[in-house]
Formats: sequence, C-alpha cells, structure tokens
Amino acid sequence: MSELVRSPTGLVGIVLLTVVALAVVFGTVLAPYDPQAFHPAVRLTGPSKAHWLGTDQFGRDILSRLLTGASSTILFGVGATAIGVFAGSVIGVTAGVLGGWVDSVIMRTLDGLLAVPDLLFTLLIVTFLGGGTGEAMLAVAVAFTPGMARIARSSVLSIRTREYVMAAVARDESQAYIISQEVIPNAIGPIIVEATIRVSFAIMIGATLGFLGLGAQPPSTEWGLMVAEARQYMYRSPWVVAVPGIAIAVSALGFNLFGDALRDAFVPRGRR
Amino acid sequence: MMAAQDNNASEGPVLDIRNYTLDYGTPHGPPVQVLRNVSLSIRPGRTMGLVGESGSGKTSLAWAIMRYLPGNAIERSGEIALLGEDLRTKSLEEVQDLRGRRISMVFQDPGTSLNPVLRLGDQVAEVLARHRGLTPKEAREESEAWLARTGISRPADMMHRYPHEASGGEKQRVVIATAFACNPEIIVFDEPTTALDIITARQILDLFDDLHDETGVTALYISHDLGLVSRVAQDVAMIDSGEIVEWGTCEEVFVRPRHDYTRQLLSAVPHPDRRIVASAPEAESDLLSLSGINVRYGDKKSILGFLEPKREVVQGARDVSFGVRPGEILGIVGESGSGKSTIAKALAGLQDFKGTVEFDSRTFSSRRQIDRDYRRSVQIVFQHPDASLNPRQTIGKILSRPLKLYDQVPRSELSQRVRKLLRSVLLPEEYAVRYPHELSGGEKQRVAIARAFAAEPQVVICDEITSSLDVSVQAAVARLLVELQQQTGTACLFITHDLNLVRQLAHRIAVMLDGDLVDLFETPQASASGRHPYTKQLLDAVPVPVKAEEPARTA
Amino acid sequence: MSPAYLLRRLLAVVLVLWIVTIAVFAITMILPGNAAVMILGEYATPDQVAAMEERLGLNRPAAVQYLEWLFNLLQGDLGMSLRLSLPVSEVVGSAFANSALLAVTALLSVTVVAVPLGMIAALKRGTKADLGISLMAYVGTAMPEFVTATLLLVIFAAPGNPLLPAGGFIPPGESVAGFFNHVILPAGALGLILTAHIARQVRSEMSDVLASDYIRAARLKGLRERRVLRGHALPNSLAPAVAVISLDIGYLLGGIIVVEEIFAWPGLGRLLILALENRDLPVIQAITLLLAMVYALSNLLSDLVIAAIDPRVRYE
Repeated sequence: MSELVRSPTGLVGIVLLTVVALAVVFGTVLAPYDPQAFHPAVRLTGPSKAHWLGTDQFGRDILSRLLTGASSTILFGVGATAIGVFAGSVIGVTAGVLGGWVDSVIMRTLDGLLAVPDLLFTLLIVTFLGGGTGEAMLAVAVAFTPGMARIARSSVLSIRTREYVMAAVARDESQAYIISQEVIPNAIGPIIVEATIRVSFAIMIGATLGFLGLGAQPPSTEWGLMVAEARQYMYRSPWVVAVPGIAIAVSALGFNLFGDALRDAFVPRGRR
Repeated sequence: MMAAQDNNASEGPVLDIRNYTLDYGTPHGPPVQVLRNVSLSIRPGRTMGLVGESGSGKTSLAWAIMRYLPGNAIERSGEIALLGEDLRTKSLEEVQDLRGRRISMVFQDPGTSLNPVLRLGDQVAEVLARHRGLTPKEAREESEAWLARTGISRPADMMHRYPHEASGGEKQRVVIATAFACNPEIIVFDEPTTALDIITARQILDLFDDLHDETGVTALYISHDLGLVSRVAQDVAMIDSGEIVEWGTCEEVFVRPRHDYTRQLLSAVPHPDRRIVASAPEAESDLLSLSGINVRYGDKKSILGFLEPKREVVQGARDVSFGVRPGEILGIVGESGSGKSTIAKALAGLQDFKGTVEFDSRTFSSRRQIDRDYRRSVQIVFQHPDASLNPRQTIGKILSRPLKLYDQVPRSELSQRVRKLLRSVLLPEEYAVRYPHELSGGEKQRVAIARAFAAEPQVVICDEITSSLDVSVQAAVARLLVELQQQTGTACLFITHDLNLVRQLAHRIAVMLDGDLVDLFETPQASASGRHPYTKQLLDAVPVPVKAEEPARTA
Repeated sequence: MSPAYLLRRLLAVVLVLWIVTIAVFAITMILPGNAAVMILGEYATPDQVAAMEERLGLNRPAAVQYLEWLFNLLQGDLGMSLRLSLPVSEVVGSAFANSALLAVTALLSVTVVAVPLGMIAALKRGTKADLGISLMAYVGTAMPEFVTATLLLVIFAAPGNPLLPAGGFIPPGESVAGFFNHVILPAGALGLILTAHIARQVRSEMSDVLASDYIRAARLKGLRERRVLRGHALPNSLAPAVAVISLDIGYLLGGIIVVEEIFAWPGLGRLLILALENRDLPVIQAITLLLAMVYALSNLLSDLVIAAIDPRVRYE
C-alpha cells in the first residue's frame, strides 16, 4: 500500500478515486438543490454563487445533478466489471485447469467473440434486451467476459507451471486443493489489476450508452445522459455538456491511474 | 592494504584503480555502499581474475571501468586509470571514443547482448567502421576475418545470420570477435561462459587462451567460479561486500590464502577429492528401478490442431534404465536438454512416460498408476527456491502440508513437528510464521528440503537444487543434504550439471546425453579407463580448482 | 513464411467469423426483443405480428433460419434490408467505403502522431517532455469519443463563426478540400483516445528496448548515441508498435459507431444505429460480420508486417 501512495500515478489515482467515492456515497446528501427541480428563471446560466456549476436548459442545478448522478455512473462501471470479471474468471480458470479439447473449444470461441469490437457487442446485446441501466450493465459485462476469460486463463497457465504447483501435484494434492490454495491466490493479482483498469472502460461505455439513449433513461442524472440531453444547447452554454463530460473523464482517469499503480506494485518490472 | 605489490615496476599497469569508492543513491533512505576503497592494477598482457559472489560489487566495478554507471551512482573518491589517463575525467564523447577501441567488454549472456534484429556480421562491422574508419566493404572483410579467427567454421555464412540462427557458442564467438576487433588495450570479460553449456564453455575458454596468446591483450576476467579463474588468470582479486579483500598471483591467493574470506570460499568450492559422504551401505537389490523409460514432448494432439503449427516432437528420454540402491546418493549429470530433469519429473509422477518404474516390489507402467503411497515415499526438491514455495503461504503452513496430507503426525503434534523440521535444516523455529519472501535463497532451499524430508521418504529427488545458489551457500546446502540423507538412510537422486560437486557427494554417477543414459559408474571410477567418450569430454571440460594448502586449518 | 502458415491463418479467420455468425444469430434470435413487434410497434395485433413473422420467416426454427442465412451468405447473398427493401450488399457497400475513408484517415494520423510521441517520451524518460506526454496520454485514454466529439464541436464548430463544419460528408472524388474539411473533427474525436493509448504503449515498449542488454552492449561498443537509437533501438521497437496499433483497430471500429452518429457521417456506424433502432436484422448481421472480418484480417496483416520487420518471427 505504501508503494501505491509513493508513486505519483498511484497518489493522484487515489485522490481522484476518493473524490469520486465521496460523490457516490454522499452525493444525494451533499447536493444543494433537488436535481429534478425546474428553476425557469435561471435557465442555462453560467457558474454563479448560487449555482457553482451553472444550470441546464430547465434551470436545474448542474452540481446537484452531477453529485446525484455519480452513483449511477460509477456503480454502473464497477458493477458491470465485477460481473464480467467473475464470469470471465470462471470460464478462464475452467479452461486453464481442464485443458485439452475443452480449452481449445473455449479459446476458439473467445477468439470469435473478441473479434467483435466491445462497443458493437454491447450495442447488439443492449438493443435486443431493450435499453435501460440493468440491461446495459449486463451487456457490458457480457462484452467484457471473453477478454477477462483470456487473462484469467493465461494467469492460471503461467501459475500451473510454477514449481510450487508441481510440488503439490507431486505430493498428490487434490485438484480442489491445488486450485483453491495454490493457483487462485496467486492468479488473483493480475486479474484485479486488469479489472481496475477495465472499470474505467466500463464507465466510458456506460456513459456512451446513456448518451446514445440505450442506457440510463430520463429522468436519471447519469452523466452520459446529461451530455445527450444538453447537446442542443451546447453552443449557447458549453458548460452544460463540459461538466458531465469532464466528470466522466476524471472518474475514468482515476481508475486508470490507480490500476496502473497497482500493476507496478504487483508486478514490478525487472529494472536496475 | 595490498597496494604496494608491483614487483615489476619497469612497465606501468594497463589498468590502475586507486582508492575507488562508489555508492548508489536510493530514493528513500541513505545511499548504499557498493564499492569501498578499491585498489587494483593489471599489468600488460596479464589476465586478472575478479572473484566474488552475487552482490559483492564485481559487476559494478566492471560498469565503473566501462564508465557506464546508472544515474543514481555516486563516485565518492579514487581514480580509474587506463595507461595513466584517469577515465573519470573524460567527457562522454571521449568515453564513447574509448569504448570498443581501447577498452571493450564481453558479456555474460550472448543471447541477450546481441541485437536480435541485426545481422551478426553488421554487429561486428559497425565497431570497425566507428573506430577504425573503415569503409563498409573493408569493415565487412575485416569482420569476416575476425569471425574466422574466433573459430567460426563458415564465417562468410555467419556474417549474414541473425542471432537466433546461431548457437550460444557461436554467438559468444561473435561477441568476442567484436571485443577484439579494434585491438583494445584491455578487455573486460563478465562471466562469459556462465550462460553456456559445459562443453561449449570449455571451447570458449580455449578460444580465450588462444586469442590471449596471439594478441597479448590485457584482461579483467570476472567470475564466481574459482576453478575457472585459476585456469584462465595469472592474477586474482577477491571481492567481498564491495571490498577487495586480497589480490595477488593465483598461486599466492589460492595456495596460500591470507584472508578469511578467501579461505572460506576456497573451502566451499566443490572439489572432487574432498568427499563429503561416507561410503554407501551394502545393498542386495535396488530400491527403485527404471526400465526402458521413454518420454516424448510435443506429442499431444488437439482437436483444433490443424490451426496450430506442427510442433516438433522431442525425445526427452530414450530407453533409460537404471536402479537406485537403498541409502545411496546417485548423481545424474548432463548438459541442458540431456533429459536429466525429464527423468526427475517422470519419477516424481509429473511427466507421462512409457516403460516401467519398480519401487518397493510394486510396478508402475504409467503416470496414472502412481499413487499416494508412492508419492509419499518418493519426494522431489526443485531447482529454484524462489519458485518452489507458494508465496502466499507461511513456512509453517508449507511444512505442515505433507504432514497432514500423509497423516504423518497427529494434529496436536503438528506445530511441534514443524519446529523440529526447521531445526533439522538448521533454521530458527520462528521461521514458521514467516513468508517465503522474507527468507534468503539458501534458507528457502532448506525449507524445500525440509518439506521433502517431512514425508519420511525413501527416495529424495534433488533436481539441480544448488545451481541457483552462491558458492558458499551451495556448499552449506549440499552438506546439509548429505547429513540428512545419512541420518535418515534415504536414497537420493542428485541431478546436477556441476561435475565437481557431484564427484564430491555421489556414490555413483549416471551420465545423460540427448535423452540417452550413456554411462553409469562408481564415483571413484570417474577417471578410470573404459569411460564413455562423452563422460571423458565432460570431465576434461571442467577445470578442477587448485587446492589450498593446509585446508585442515579452516575445517 | 510458408503458404501452409498463411492457409492456416486464413482458416483461423474463417473459424472466427463462423463463431461471430453464431454469436450474432444467438443474440438476435434468443434475446427477448421480437423483431416483428419492433417493426410493427407495440400496438400491433397478434394477427399482424404473426403475418409479419411469416413474411420475415421468423416463425421457423432458429437453426433453419441460421443455416439458410449462412448458405445464402456463402453465395454472397446477404439478404434484403427490412427497412429499405434494398439488397443488404447495396446498402452496406457505400457505407463501408465511407467508413473506411474515416477510419483510415484517423488511423494514419494517429500512427504518425502517437508512435513518435511514445518514442520521445521513452527517450526523454523522467524529463518534462516525458511528463507532459504521459499526462496527455493518461487524460486522453479517459475521454470517451462522445465527450471528445462534443467538446470539439463546441470549440471548432460553434454557429456564428465555425472554423470547421459540424457534420456531414463530402466524397473526396467530389472535392478533396471539402472531404478534409469534414473529416478533421470526426477523425480527431476518434483519434484522441487511440493516440493516447498507442503513445503510452509505445513508450512502455520502447523503454523496455532501451533497458535491454543489447542496447547496453551497443553503447559499450562505443557507438554514438544517434547510431545506438537509429540502428539498434528503433528497429526493435517497430514490431511492438505495429502489434499495438493492430490491437487498437478493434477499439477504432467500435468508436466509429458513436463518432459517425454524432457527425452525421454516412458510414457503417450510422447505418448500424439506424438498423438497430428498426431491428433491421439482415443489415445488423451484415455489419457485425463485416466489422469482425476487418478486425480479424487487420490482425493477420499486422502479423505479416511484423514477420517482415522482425527476423526472429518466421511463421511456419
């Protein structure tokens, strides 16, 4: 942990994630206004003392909308990644442990699925599931599964040839013991690193779906949707789109930096 | 303390290092001392061996001489003079002009020190073009001539090859040709044979001798191997923890060592005459016997195999048959790829094989038939102590695992037995709560040995267990193994590429070559007539270290 | 490289595409959204739905529909667009060409910018230049295309005094200047995140090369720094750069959907969004397959390029 704080990327990542986490947890409490309340008198005003980040086309307070939207935007990314990582790990570990034809078939199938760009895959699934937050989350999770499965598998394979695993096989340990005690505890590091970095992608894809109208639906204050709703007014008052846009970037950046620092701490590169 | 040793003052030294002190700065905390007050001089035409263990600072000294120090290096004092000119005062441009021309270097691993995407010929020629101003054509001709001088059989052909198309020995010859190409005044050799196989290493040493005689170049030869240094060098310096503890002619240092560290290291170096085992117990029959063991790699078929390149089938072991007698140490030697580790894996039930293994009057004819009872009785210790212990488990957990698995002791006595095991490998009992990364390499290997002996086995397979350890640690681990083996009467299969070590501790030695068992003999018969030619070749390839006088004083 | 290798790789591409067809069919058939209902609207009577299903052939077993589609596909027949009542190949063809123009423009500019940036950062490791490039790269990778696109529009295409058009497409055959005028913003929106990502990867690959034994050996031969970098470091970092770019093509193909939608670029992405809204199954299937094919083939191509630049890689 101390290594994480010491590296500049880790430190910035932690700071950004802390800010984001505070918004997720206390967003609704901290919001100075009702995020849905119309204030027709102050439509599309710039930042002021009353409205720190200005107001949107209905005179709603942007800061309040941003704060209340943090949870739907961020938790979407975390949730989608968690499901995708779990499903992918199960598939990857299964393939890696069983080997043989099961592995071949799983890997070739994954190759096929990986040939479809993530966003396209997500769009297909979410369209046929019907738009909405839950559906979008599931779609992103499904789209992430093949990639995570591949990482989990290669992690398992590299650990399976370690001498401590061979020692366990030579001792006649059960398959269950080897997987649960020897392989998984050592394979989990790279998976966590990859998952952290993927949260930033999930946040970005989730916001993109919201923007395209396929994710969160009005009156949600999901940030991608906020950008979409304010687009017609963006030339008149740029901050209406800029604020949620930047918020998305900052959150994605936080997870990215933190993930990179985790990688450096877990898997130090051999350098003099 | 040894500064005034010049007994041939008529000719000044080629390289003269005086009171050189080097630190490495650390980002958090005080700088680390790497070299302390190092003084050393090499006279023209001599080869100076620089001997030390890992972390002794020997490689840092090489970087300092080459003026290739990392950014955090802090040179506290001293001078490094090449024919009287202090290299420390040179600008980067002057240094670049010196390197490769007046002072050059041969690296440890030719596999990584040659550029993988450039042709070998160009890698020699560019030095000639840079320093001797030759035209591309002249440089290529000269390079080819140098490749021929280093004993490459078809130099014109080698000029066009890429590094991955040449063998390890050929690559090292190219590196050596590059180092000699501009007739430098001094060449630094950094463990140039460590990454090579035994016989290739020997050929490179012979090449070094020849070129040294031909060119009369002065050399600094860095190595951890005392035997090797005593063969190639006339002078030797011993370095320990950044200090030159002793230097002089090989004769002086090796035969009449004055410093404790030198004596300690000399006594740790395996020497065939210094046996560390008692004779093997008399045995009527074999405890474990293999007959007609065959192992093939790359044989597996996959249902989607048509999408994958054809894999080469490699014969890991071919019709290998031998027996292990109760209580004996049987050495298996061979170069990498000889099949010695394949045999270890087959016997440990980690590798599919054809043929039969007989143990304890039971016969196993495939890996699947190997059961828990066999696995308990035949234990294995692996080469890399860093990899053979699960980093997420404490030493206590690691050691108690076989005890639980085989019901060796009742649960209540578990921790007591773990402590006893730790004591048996001379480790403190408190280590039970530590994690592997808190232990040194030698300590980890002791834990791995303890884990093997915890099962109270009848056979322990040791697969190169000392080869990743430093000389002195290696000696201690070998002694420990022999002691445990004799106390318990366990038979041991000791697999190694170190011929001096195996002659020190094995009762019999088996020699493997390309998957075949080519020779098997009682250790004292190693140099007897009638040995397989390959056995002779191996034995000839390994320099036997000089023996210090009065070794009894340290024992 | 042997012909057997090429054949094997092409077979692998075919296998991948076959799996894609199954996946696409599974998604469009098994998931609850019923195409007939989608087309007719929520208030259609069951009879109307049944008639529509009959017309589309949706009432037959999924496997039969799949095999029929696959059979037609192998003959080059992609079916008819439900929305436009035109052959899919016709609808998709011109859109594909337009998308390719955008994607290639974006990819070329990304490569030209990102690879040198990454190399400079690695060479000047730890300096202000490195810090600046790394910082930009981090921020860039956190910007989804729709955010970049929106910000670019606000800055460059504000009505009143637009520096660049806010959308639309002019074929280069009609006016080269017009084409470039229209392609700058969408290519920029697509390219920012890719530039950032590729620059970061190239920096890391190049740093590994610079820390390698053979670079040290080259310096210790007395070679001048310029020669060490051009003759030794550069040739070794090209192959990894190609690999990174080829992997990012997958990302580019996803990003293009959003960017085309925002900039009204008449390409595959915009067509796909329309087809998704109308549940135009044949078009959706064709576009997905096409994009997957482009990705698989570009990966194959990059492997061939790598084999040409790196002598160690000799595909058997």
